[in-house]
Amino acid sequence: MIDLLLAVRNLLRNRRRSLATFLALVIGTTSVLFFGGYRKNIEYSMVTAYAREGGHLQVQHQDLFHYGTGDPTRYSIARYVELIEAIRRDAVLAPLVTVATPTLQLGGIASNFEDGVSRTVLGFGSVAAERNAMRRWNEYGLPMDAEPYALDGAAEDAALIGTGVARVLLLCPALGLKDCPPRVETAKVRATMAAADEADEALPDDIASLALASVAPAAATASGRGTRVDLLASSAGGAPNVISLQVLRAERQGFKELDEVFLALQLPTAQRLIYGNQPPQATAVMVQLHRTADVGRARDRLQALVREVAPAEPLAVLDFRELNPFFVQTVQMFDTIFGFIFVLIGSIVLFTVGNTMSTAVMERTVEIGTVRALGVRRAGIRRLFMLEGSLLGLAGAGAGVGLALAGAALVNSLGLSWLPPGSGDRLPLLLVVWGETTTLVGTAIGLVLIASASAWWPAHRASRLAIVDALRHT
Amino acid sequence: MNSATEPVATLQGVAKSYRLDDVAVPVLAGIELLVRPGQFTVLLGPSGSGKTTLLNLIGCIDRADAGQVVVAGQDVAALSDDQLSDFRARHIGFIFQNFNLLPVLTAYENIEYPMLLAGLPADKRARRVGKLLQAVGLADRGRNRPGQLSGGQRQRVAIARALALKPRLVIADEPTANLDSRTGAEILDLMRHMQRRYGMSFLFSSHDPAVIKAADDTIFLRDGAIRGIRRKSASATAAAPPGQAGANGYGHDSEPDSRHNAEAADSEVMEA
Repeated sequence: MIDLLLAVRNLLRNRRRSLATFLALVIGTTSVLFFGGYRKNIEYSMVTAYAREGGHLQVQHQDLFHYGTGDPTRYSIARYVELIEAIRRDAVLAPLVTVATPTLQLGGIASNFEDGVSRTVLGFGSVAAERNAMRRWNEYGLPMDAEPYALDGAAEDAALIGTGVARVLLLCPALGLKDCPPRVETAKVRATMAAADEADEALPDDIASLALASVAPAAATASGRGTRVDLLASSAGGAPNVISLQVLRAERQGFKELDEVFLALQLPTAQRLIYGNQPPQATAVMVQLHRTADVGRARDRLQALVREVAPAEPLAVLDFRELNPFFVQTVQMFDTIFGFIFVLIGSIVLFTVGNTMSTAVMERTVEIGTVRALGVRRAGIRRLFMLEGSLLGLAGAGAGVGLALAGAALVNSLGLSWLPPGSGDRLPLLLVVWGETTTLVGTAIGLVLIASASAWWPAHRASRLAIVDALRHT
Repeated sequence: MNSATEPVATLQGVAKSYRLDDVAVPVLAGIELLVRPGQFTVLLGPSGSGKTTLLNLIGCIDRADAGQVVVAGQDVAALSDDQLSDFRARHIGFIFQNFNLLPVLTAYENIEYPMLLAGLPADKRARRVGKLLQAVGLADRGRNRPGQLSGGQRQRVAIARALALKPRLVIADEPTANLDSRTGAEILDLMRHMQRRYGMSFLFSSHDPAVIKAADDTIFLRDGAIRGIRRKSASATAAAPPGQAGANGYGHDSEPDSRHNAEAADSEVMEA
């Protein structure tokens, strides 16, 4: 108790020096926690985006993830309906799951016949109402309002496309997209088009009328004039198949690469395109959970369930981290930077507190000699100075936590947003500090330990002073 | 021997030197000394004679290079650093020339500090601090920090602190050197009074004639060796009122013999 009293009063004795050290600790703690909060914001934003678009877990053919991008329908699940039913009935999984829904991924060519343009696309067939429910997921309470899934309640032939697809298919005016750059035709393109026009003129009448007849169904729909695309894909049997889709709107996708190939359609339509009259299949079952922390538990149970329901199918359960390696890389990068910043701030704390305590030892050398003469052991001297360093660390880290919480609340209330690299969507700029107990307590304890450790050497030196030398010190 | 009659400190063949760069500078050599219990003993000698070093050795805050130092019946060379710390806390009080009070503690807390180290219970501490503050005339200044006290008051607090655990021996290194003559005389009176009241041994180093006059025993040091010891008679010491002991004369030589050789000093020490 007397040590604590002495430590507190000695810290208050040289207020200016203690204040400078205290402020260094406060700013250091706040900086670490601010960056920790920013890192958490990135992580939570990404998890939210991935959970909304693809769920936390996906049941797939074991080779779809590695080999399925070229021909996803080759790696599909036959008993997906039974699997989803089993998930919804399962006593372990049902309470954990918000949505379990099938998806069919397909590759094809979308064309705007009216303008004579086409491009390869990646099609995603899904149950619109369930996709809409997935978009409402917001475990972390982020101000990320997802627009309702536009296919929910829409016609069977309705489709959504990425803005990149709309641009290439010359659908910007029809879809009301404002930020499409105007197409500048080069001399070479003009020459090619002129040659094509001449060729058209040279077409025999029967061929020309056949061409006009094939255009008629799409172009003749009064309500969808100019927003229809035809989707050509290879059916499960290998034959080409085509459907006509009414594009409801173009939605910007998070990444340009996806935005330029994205096409969403109703699951039954996609299944009809690929499987025709055969039993429909899905390339994946997406499972979204209430809480991201349940991924491990849910995955274990889901793997067992898959073996029960579809023992003959080579299926695998992948979580969102495996499905999105970029997420893992991003989190790892931010963790590394966080660690670097902590080490940097820790070093500053180490030297600041160490310097303060060294000066205190020098100034109080005679006092050290006096209390040693009065019977204080070496360990008592060491304890006293380490207690002072720890108290400084505790006060600085405590105030730093308080300042970080207040500062984060202020920043969060400003409603700032930022554009992540490679993304087309702005994300809220938040500092997630409140509730991050591990980061808060870990940072505070870490800096208090560093402060205590930095006081150790001066304290040790003080304890080793010869009493007579200390008493003679001037 | 019981603690009332056994010497409070005995030194035999004690030597001490300090290193100045690579050179060993002898400070004390061949010290043979017996400090009597319950006496007011003064170490007298010119600067550099080894007074402070001798006090440090007897006060157990330094160790002898050679010889034996026995304090309160304990050969201190046999004690570890921690044991020596505990020994000092129990048996030795210190009064410093510069008072050496802890500036962040009040007068009350400074006096209480050794008792806290010794683990005395709170009620006992409070009673004893109160009595000591009263005894040194600072009953109303207990809440003042050293910076709010005069030099004389600080030294009173230091005296009270030194007596806090009723040690067998109080070491005082020139306790009046930083005080004006009047305050110095008051402090000397106080120490003499306290020494009588608590029956402990005081060992001083001093140049102050008033201190020398007040001493029961005077030890003369020069060039690191004891050149003579003068002891008052027991009756004279007992009869002397506080602060006036010097007026009653000495039991041995009336004046120290500056030519007193080491052998003579040794015999005198052993005789005492």
